[in-house]
Amino acid sequence: MSAVIPYHRVNVLTGIKSARLIEDAQEYAGLIQKAKRPLLVLGPLLLKSSLDGRLLIEYALEIAKAANIPTCATAHVRAKMAELGVKPDSFYDVVEIINALKDPNWRGVKKEGNHDLVLFFGIRSDLGEQGLSVLKHFAPHLKTMTLCKYYFPNANYSLPNFRKDEQWKAFLESLIDNLKKGV
Amino acid sequence: MAEVKEITRKLEEIQKKIKAEIPWEPVGPTPMPEIPDLRNWDMRLLKTYAPFYAPFCDLCCFCTYGKCDLTETRRGACGIDIATQQARWVLLACLMGCSAHSAHAGHILEFLIEKHGPDKKIDLGGSINIEAPHIRTVVGLKPETLGDLQIALEYVFKEITHLLDSTNMGQEGSYLDYESKALHAGMLDHVGMEVADIAQIVGFNYPTSVADTPLIDLGWAAVDKSKPVILFVGHNPATSTVVIDYLRENNLYDQVEVCGVCCTALETSRYSDRAKVVGPFSRQLFFIRSGIADVIMTDEQCIRTDMPIEASKAGSALIATLDKAMYGLEEASEMDTAEIVRQMVDDKKHFAILDPRKAAEVAAKVAMEIAPQRRKEWLTEGEAKELATKCNVCGMCEQVCPNLFNIGAGIAEVAKGKFELIREQFNLCVGCGKCEAECPRKIPIFKIMQVAASMEKWKVRAGRGPIMDTEIRTVGAPITLGTIPGVVALVGCSNFPDIRDIAEMVDEFAKRKYIVVVSGCTSMVAGMWKDADGKTVYEKYSPAFEAGGVVNVGSCVANSHITGAAIKIANIFAALPLRGNYEVMADYVLNRVGAVGIAWGAYSQKAASIGTGCNRLGIPVILGPHSSKYRRLYLSRKEEDDWKVMDARKKEIVDTGEPSPEHLAYVCETKEKAMVMIPKLCIRKNDTPQGRAIKLNHYVSLHKKYMGGGLPEDIQLFVRRDPDIPLVYKKEVREYLQRIGWKPREPVGLPTLIGTYPSKVSVDAVIH
Repeated sequence: MSAVIPYHRVNVLTGIKSARLIEDAQEYAGLIQKAKRPLLVLGPLLLKSSLDGRLLIEYALEIAKAANIPTCATAHVRAKMAELGVKPDSFYDVVEIINALKDPNWRGVKKEGNHDLVLFFGIRSDLGEQGLSVLKHFAPHLKTMTLCKYYFPNANYSLPNFRKDEQWKAFLESLIDNLKKGV
Repeated sequence: MAEVKEITRKLEEIQKKIKAEIPWEPVGPTPMPEIPDLRNWDMRLLKTYAPFYAPFCDLCCFCTYGKCDLTETRRGACGIDIATQQARWVLLACLMGCSAHSAHAGHILEFLIEKHGPDKKIDLGGSINIEAPHIRTVVGLKPETLGDLQIALEYVFKEITHLLDSTNMGQEGSYLDYESKALHAGMLDHVGMEVADIAQIVGFNYPTSVADTPLIDLGWAAVDKSKPVILFVGHNPATSTVVIDYLRENNLYDQVEVCGVCCTALETSRYSDRAKVVGPFSRQLFFIRSGIADVIMTDEQCIRTDMPIEASKAGSALIATLDKAMYGLEEASEMDTAEIVRQMVDDKKHFAILDPRKAAEVAAKVAMEIAPQRRKEWLTEGEAKELATKCNVCGMCEQVCPNLFNIGAGIAEVAKGKFELIREQFNLCVGCGKCEAECPRKIPIFKIMQVAASMEKWKVRAGRGPIMDTEIRTVGAPITLGTIPGVVALVGCSNFPDIRDIAEMVDEFAKRKYIVVVSGCTSMVAGMWKDADGKTVYEKYSPAFEAGGVVNVGSCVANSHITGAAIKIANIFAALPLRGNYEVMADYVLNRVGAVGIAWGAYSQKAASIGTGCNRLGIPVILGPHSSKYRRLYLSRKEEDDWKVMDARKKEIVDTGEPSPEHLAYVCETKEKAMVMIPKLCIRKNDTPQGRAIKLNHYVSLHKKYMGGGLPEDIQLFVRRDPDIPLVYKKEVREYLQRIGWKPREPVGLPTLIGTYPSKVSVDAVIH
């Protein structure tokens, strides 16, 4: 298989171990549901972008709700969540949550043990890719997954570079449906 | 026995070099420290602020055994693992940065010693007696002449060699030891920078012992393009000052416009307040491509490496003036001046001219000859629209943009005659030009950006060099007590997520009566905003190092004065001896001086080195989102880490549980988050209840402003007793503390890390 080039070229991989690209929302939903202690990390891009007039944070919160995934609000995401009347399960900035996740003995945001699957959504891609690199190298005890529009080589599971927003939106909606159905 | 003799001999040599017989202060335990001498201090810092590595690359490609894959538990052919490889990279970055500043210092010192002689006295004016806090602390020397500065620099050069040696294949095998070495390089960098700036102040007669330095015209629109224009790019003012001398001596200064990009601009404006500052590094290519400069003179650091190509494209003449960057050009110092001018004018040839007098004469003559023949028109909106129509929104420009934005969308709007988006995007542009290089239709994006660039003229205050001892005496107590809530230093390069963030941060913290200090490209950008009354932050706030002041220390090398001010607080206000006494100074700063650095647009290795030097001295640094690419941060885990200190008065180790400062090197993604982290990282264990309440007032208030209301979830970690709670939020905080079962604890009388780890320094040494 030829290497997938990330959309933002600053994130091009210099190495061998790269993310498994998944386009099938059902497969993504299956991976999420298989996880015992998933975590959804919410980044500030969720407050800036919309798909069809609906802010990305709303998609993110729907995913969290559908699969009962605890959330971590980074940067100033909590401000928007407060407006929406939703309280995140934890507040860490992105490097802080990654620093905690590195530790296999960390008790996680629910104090039930470290997370086994961490979903990232809405972190700017260069910072996100660097954060995923930390976990790829120093957190073998967990898997990472991205929900952003582009391919992230340092994740374990990543979406492809969607050329059109419609494709991404369709994926997210299908993911939500699958999670709701409990597939 | 032989070893004892060796140690004695080495000590004698050091004592001779630092003139130990001059008893201005007793010599402390670590004059001219070598790699192992401050290692225990480093290890103590690294215990709480553990290195956090984000590998930029999975491989090691340094030697012919490689490439070696270092993922999972793999080690390279030499045995290195991924963490150690990252630390090795960090050390290399710090050494590049430290070398850049120190070699700049070496060059400028040589130049000035040739001009003034080695016995030229160091006199920084009536308000500065502690002229060189870093040199005094690290080297143990009180420099009295330019010649003395050479002693400090020789020490730095020697240490750089040893550190660089350790990065060779088959050397250091511990990431912690590499970090200790990086911290060493960072410390040396501040010595090198201090040498450079003191030499410049003394040798070029820059302003010193004064706060109210001139306000300098700032911005591309401030440059009078009707005159021949000479543009300086880089960091080293050796040639730019000579150009100004030449113009003055030949009565040409009224006829020629002199301006600069990056730190040479700041340096030149300290020499002549008529020199214009165009802007930061991120506007370098934009301005060069505008063709306004008739002659471009490069010196060193942060100059485009494709400058000859860019100069030719713009029709500008180029003179490379320093050996660090000669671009393969013919070196013409020995050539006849008239012939150089002829070839530059007629043949459009560029030259390297390392003799500053000759370079100055050539620059002036070439500028005056070619300027009348050159067209320097700013693009009109109509022309921009025409150029933009070629865009088919393929998205290639967005894919290569390091700031990850879609300039293509802006260009497409321009094609429709709409300019709002591209004006917005100009604030995000970091100025690399990769978009234009990638464009399959060769659309001149930077040229089109001329319609987006503001034609506003702004002001930046000329760099003033060191903070005055008199100022330190006034603010030392309120800073260490916490009643001045912090020193916020916005420093460094221009790889900003959004250029507008800087003035907003300066304004926010100056308004709140923090002491705001700025330097380098950030100091220019701070001036590129006006309030409703048309005032920049330099016109709005006092230039003094006082509560609510906005102080521009100067260029990159003037960063040493910011860290130097922290040392001066320990030395002047707390009366702790600094000579060869680094650990005591750093421990004081870490525990008692509420200072934080913000390198929001850091990109260079110099910034890595400056920041790491701040960290060894106990000053935390907040970095913008791009800086995750530096590969390493120093982060604590506030609820798990070791927050024990020694109470020096009681000689007892106390577990404070208080993460102050919480991190030493920290990246955050948004301005909003930075606004909340800044006041938090100014909290120190030494704060009095009154000071702590003031600091927490800002922490809570900024949290409410930027995080959607509510209290910070970690407020309980910073409230020791009820008087620490800010009055405005008393009820809300008390209720919260009660709800979570908070228990009061006693503040520590005299907090120090000395005594909590193996050190030659005794606890009594920190008592003043």
